[in-house]
Amino acid sequence: MTPERMAELVARWVRFYTRNLPAPIARRRIGEIDADVHDHVAHERAHGTDERRIALGIAARMIRGAGADASSRRQTIARSSTTKEVKMSKPVHRSAVRVALVTAVVLLVPFVGMQIGDGVDWGVFDFVLAAVLLAGSGFLLELAVRKPATLVYRVAAITIGVAAIVLGEADDAPGLVVFGCLLIGGTLALSVRTALRSQ
Amino acid sequence: MPRRKPGTLLPLEAEILGVALSLSRSGHATFHGFGLAHAMREHSGSRALTGHGTLYKALGRLEEFGLLASRWEDAETAEGRPRRRLYALTGQGARVAEQALAEAATTARPPRLASEPA
Repeated sequence: MTPERMAELVARWVRFYTRNLPAPIARRRIGEIDADVHDHVAHERAHGTDERRIALGIAARMIRGAGADASSRRQTIARSSTTKEVKMSKPVHRSAVRVALVTAVVLLVPFVGMQIGDGVDWGVFDFVLAAVLLAGSGFLLELAVRKPATLVYRVAAITIGVAAIVLGEADDAPGLVVFGCLLIGGTLALSVRTALRSQ
Repeated sequence: MPRRKPGTLLPLEAEILGVALSLSRSGHATFHGFGLAHAMREHSGSRALTGHGTLYKALGRLEEFGLLASRWEDAETAEGRPRRRLYALTGQGARVAEQALAEAATTARPPRLASEPA
C-alpha cells in the first residue's frame, strides 16, 4: 500500500462520515484532512521514512480517530436543524424499504411453499394478516432503534411477541411462535445494545 | 475519551492549548492540523501522532469555546498543495493556556475553560 493509496482511503472515509452533513461542515473537514494527510506524507518523505511506514502511519491515525469521527457526526446531526430534515426523511425512506423487503422475503416462503407442495394452504386473508403483522413489528423495531431512550416501542414489541407465542401455542401455529420468539429476541438484543452504548 | 466536568478542559484540549502557546511564543502565531499533531508528538515524546478524528474534533470544540480562531490559508500561499486551515489562540485561549500550564505544573486539577478572576 502506497501513501497515495492510503490517502485516497482516508479521503473516502472522510467523505463517508461527513455524508449528508451541512455542506460547510463537510467541506471544512474534508479540506482539513486532505491538507493534513498531504503534509504528513510530505513531512515523512522529507525525513526519508519508508513508504510502507508512511502508509501505516496514516492508516493508524485514521483508525485511532474513527471513534471521534463517528461521535462528531452524531453530534453534528443532533445539533443541525438542516440535517434534521435529512435525518428524518432519508432514514424514514430507508426504514420503509427495509421493512417492506423483509416482509416480502418472509411472505415468499409460504407463497413458494404453496406452489411446490400441498403442505401450505394460505388464503389472501392469511397473507394480508401476516404482512400487517410483519410490517407492523418491523416498523415498531425501527422506531425503537431510532428512539432508544423511549421504552414504549420496545415494550410494545415484546407484548406483540408474547401475544404471538400465546396465540401460536393455542392455535398450534409454530410459525407464529417462532415469529414471537424472534421479535422478543430482537427487542432484547436492541435493549442490550442501547444499554451498552449509553455506558 | 474521559468525560468532561462542566467548565473544564479535557486533557487533550489542555495539551493542544499548551502546545499552541509554545508555538505562539516561538513566533508561530498560527498553526495547522498536521503541524500541531507533530508538535504535540515532540512535546509529549510519544511515538504516535494524534488520530485525525480526535485532533480535529478537539480543535472544533476549542474553537466553539472561543479559545481558538481559524481561517483557510490563502490559495497563493498554498502553492499547489491542499489549503491548510490555520488556527490561532484567541486572547482568552492564551490566558486559559497559561493557566492550564500553571495548574498542570502544580496540581492534577483539570484546567478550567474560563480564566479565573484575579
